[in-house]
Amino acid sequence: MNRRSLGSAAVSALIALTLHAGSHAADPAKTLRVTFQVAETGFDPTRTSDYYSGQVIEAIFDRLLTYDYLARPAKLVPSAAESLPQVTDNGKTYTFKVRKGIYFTPDPAFKGKRRELTAEDYAYSIKRFFDPRNRSPYTFLYEGKIVGLDELGAQARKTGRFDYDAKVAGLEVPDRYTLRIHLREPDYGFPHIIAFDLSGAVAREVIEAYGEDTSAHPVGTGPYRLKQYTRSSKIILEANPDYRGMVWDFQPGDDPLDREIAAQMKGKKLPVIGNVEISIMEETQSRWLAFEKGETDMEYQLWDLSPTFMAEDGRLRPQFAKRGIKLGRSVDPEITYAYFNMLDKIGDQPNPVGGYSREKIALRRAIAMAYKVDDQIRIIRKGQSIKAEYPIPPGIAGHDPNYRSSIPYDPKTANALLDRFGYRKGTDGYRTLPDGKPLLIRYSSTPSEVARQFDELMKRSLDSIGIRLEIHKDRFPDLIKLERRCRLMMRGAAWIADTPDGDNFMQLLYGPNTFQSNNACYKSPAFDKLYEQSRAMPDGPERNRLYRQMTRQMEADTPWIMIDSRYRNVLMQPYVIGFKKHPVLHQEWMYIDFEPKAKR
Amino acid sequence: MTTATSHAESPGLWVLAWRRFRHDRVGLVSFDIVLFFVALMAASWTGLIASDWAREVGVSNAPPTFTGPKVASARLEHAAAPEPLRRDKSDESAAVDPLAGVLAEIRASRPPAAADTEIVDPLADVLAEIRGRSGSASADETRAATLIFGGDKWGRDVLKKTIKGTETSMFVGLAAAALAALLGTVFGALAGYYGRWIDDFFNWFYSVFTSIPYLLLILSIAAVLNQKGTMTVILILGLTGWTGIFRLIRAEYMKHKVREYVQAADAIGASHMRRMFVHIFPNVSHVVLVQLSLHVVLFIKSEVVLSFLGFGVGVDTVSWGSMLNEAQTELLLGNWWQLAAATAAMAMLVTAFGLLTDAWRDALDPKLK
Repeated sequence: MNRRSLGSAAVSALIALTLHAGSHAADPAKTLRVTFQVAETGFDPTRTSDYYSGQVIEAIFDRLLTYDYLARPAKLVPSAAESLPQVTDNGKTYTFKVRKGIYFTPDPAFKGKRRELTAEDYAYSIKRFFDPRNRSPYTFLYEGKIVGLDELGAQARKTGRFDYDAKVAGLEVPDRYTLRIHLREPDYGFPHIIAFDLSGAVAREVIEAYGEDTSAHPVGTGPYRLKQYTRSSKIILEANPDYRGMVWDFQPGDDPLDREIAAQMKGKKLPVIGNVEISIMEETQSRWLAFEKGETDMEYQLWDLSPTFMAEDGRLRPQFAKRGIKLGRSVDPEITYAYFNMLDKIGDQPNPVGGYSREKIALRRAIAMAYKVDDQIRIIRKGQSIKAEYPIPPGIAGHDPNYRSSIPYDPKTANALLDRFGYRKGTDGYRTLPDGKPLLIRYSSTPSEVARQFDELMKRSLDSIGIRLEIHKDRFPDLIKLERRCRLMMRGAAWIADTPDGDNFMQLLYGPNTFQSNNACYKSPAFDKLYEQSRAMPDGPERNRLYRQMTRQMEADTPWIMIDSRYRNVLMQPYVIGFKKHPVLHQEWMYIDFEPKAKR
Repeated sequence: MTTATSHAESPGLWVLAWRRFRHDRVGLVSFDIVLFFVALMAASWTGLIASDWAREVGVSNAPPTFTGPKVASARLEHAAAPEPLRRDKSDESAAVDPLAGVLAEIRASRPPAAADTEIVDPLADVLAEIRGRSGSASADETRAATLIFGGDKWGRDVLKKTIKGTETSMFVGLAAAALAALLGTVFGALAGYYGRWIDDFFNWFYSVFTSIPYLLLILSIAAVLNQKGTMTVILILGLTGWTGIFRLIRAEYMKHKVREYVQAADAIGASHMRRMFVHIFPNVSHVVLVQLSLHVVLFIKSEVVLSFLGFGVGVDTVSWGSMLNEAQTELLLGNWWQLAAATAAMAMLVTAFGLLTDAWRDALDPKLK
């Protein structure tokens, strides 16, 4: 984290704000039309976990901190807070000052009064993650971090009622605009959690007024508010007229695109786009046709169809380039991987791929060496992904672009390795376990056409080393349930950054996170020790050295097959300006504009 | 009716039917086509042809020979190799990859940097030995640029895939129809013959099955079996498809059980089972045959739908349904051959089987003498 530039960005934003204060700029004539490929689940920040609802939540609710639009790697800047938090106690205490004069959008729950945003709202919103009635899938963000909060949650699980008025030692509100958070351990990644889109502030009156229906009544202080909502079909947002506003004044980086955007956008009051109209369209083909006919303004969910509009080298095909259509291209901050269940037993059945003996490691290593990653990238992804060498993807603090995995694609060595450890081939061409028992790998996936392609690839890969594969099909939520109990043997998984910090990825392999995010149920004392050291360290070469060691340790035990990170190819109509994909923010609606003489 | 002068034995139902069928030209052609498919299925099953369908012989999405190789396919093959991205200013498309520099750096592969880590690989010694022994000679297999009827995305021959798919789809159709006919006939016979509470019971059972929309029923049985594979598909289709046959057979048995010949059989002491299956059954068997072939067609189509919905055959099997499902996105990218092959094979068999069933019904219907 570079503190100096953080501060200067904050100051310049503040100056710009005072200069332009009062001029309301969002243009109601400008309507941005976008699509979701999956239906939203709802707009209550503590009750959802999906990426799509997250985009709307990010637009409606205000976090204390957010990210600079152009700075790479992602850089924290204050949002509803006056400035970046004051850090004391070696990263154990964070003090936030909430900006004065921010008001919630009017709602009947406020009984006609204007309701100001206060520090208490943020404390309340964090507490809600621990209320058992909310069943939050993202409690882990705050779990084990804030002094006294886990205890309150445990008590609520016992009594069935969460006491919001109880004092929590770690969530201190000394005055109306000050929030002081005390952590159990030093954690330099904590501000990223505060900037995460589910950490926005809700008003207690609203939550209590709508009871179980809070998902359909988001009331926040962010740049947009919900105007019209038809479940699983259409979501229309309009610019929040009471939004405190901000002025486009970001420092362009080395990227030529930055300078172009800065020239077009500098000094504009944000948000400029007056309405955002989101249609749910599940079929790739429909989304493509809608964009092609000019019925949507931006579209990125077109992976299977990318060869129709772009060449392999990442350029738009000439017929679209001629029409002025623009392409924004970036690698998503995600990794995909296939994990092995590392436990000795699954339920009461022996697990052929689990365990830490040399012959088990050899089996996993051989499978990892046989997985045809290049085929996945070339044939399934149509060239629209890059091979993942490191558990932390590009654009995330801690990523090492020079790191090379020690497990290359090498089926020949894989076969030799299996021969060496006594996995002998039977008459049918498939191998048995060293003790002569049959060897069968069970790979779990969902019943969809896309999943079938991965099943086929896994089957082809394992056939090349003579290992028999069985496919287990189940619905996604059921698979996740089994996975959380370590009941799956093998599955392909993907993780996209919640925060731009490497810790968000390394925690996936941390032993105590078994039954949560550690889906391989991997427990290595060596890894865990390194991880615990890394957690108490700020981003820097020291921590990166630990991350490299952790990665080598992971490779030595091979709980994962590292696969790839996808490109995000955002298509834009010619009149859309100011867009650059942010590595952490879910959407950029408030930062973009339409060209003045846009044909609509 | 005139008195017969000769006392030659009168021909039976099947002989008469065969005579009538012989004059039905459309029926005969259809019969030949169906026989051809059955032969194909048998040959594929015994491994005479298409046993190596899973081998990857062509490049990814190799086009059919008659259209010639794809120009871009050579480039596609090398897409994984590192190549520096050029910024050609004369080109119309101005969208320059902002990550070009970073990517070029990422792609330029370097040996693993092991210097800064003291992590010990437990397999280091074995791997070093294996690598030292085998060297790094990686013989790249040559792949054809085109295949007779094109290749799928992994480069498998679509023609062989279609033959293998024919085996699966026809086997599923025939086996599921046999299962459905068996269930329908036994239930129908019991219900129609005994009547009373047995009839009520089967009717109730039948109503429960038919009150659920067909596709929902299929999906719910698929969810209960919760397993994928050819056997599952056969069970799903067989267990849901017996209801129509049941209705017809039940009606036939109700009609026949009061006929004189059945009463005569009763009089000479034939048991219920004997009366049902030795005396009555031959007289209703033509109904079963026609229903059987109708259901074969229906189930071949249903298998396609099931596979299309993701409930079909497993990953190591290929069927027409799974081919069509794969072809969905391929088609949008201009790779039409897999879709064409599977559709053509299916259309031919289903049409031929349909016409054959018609011909059989005409031939077997005693009223059409």
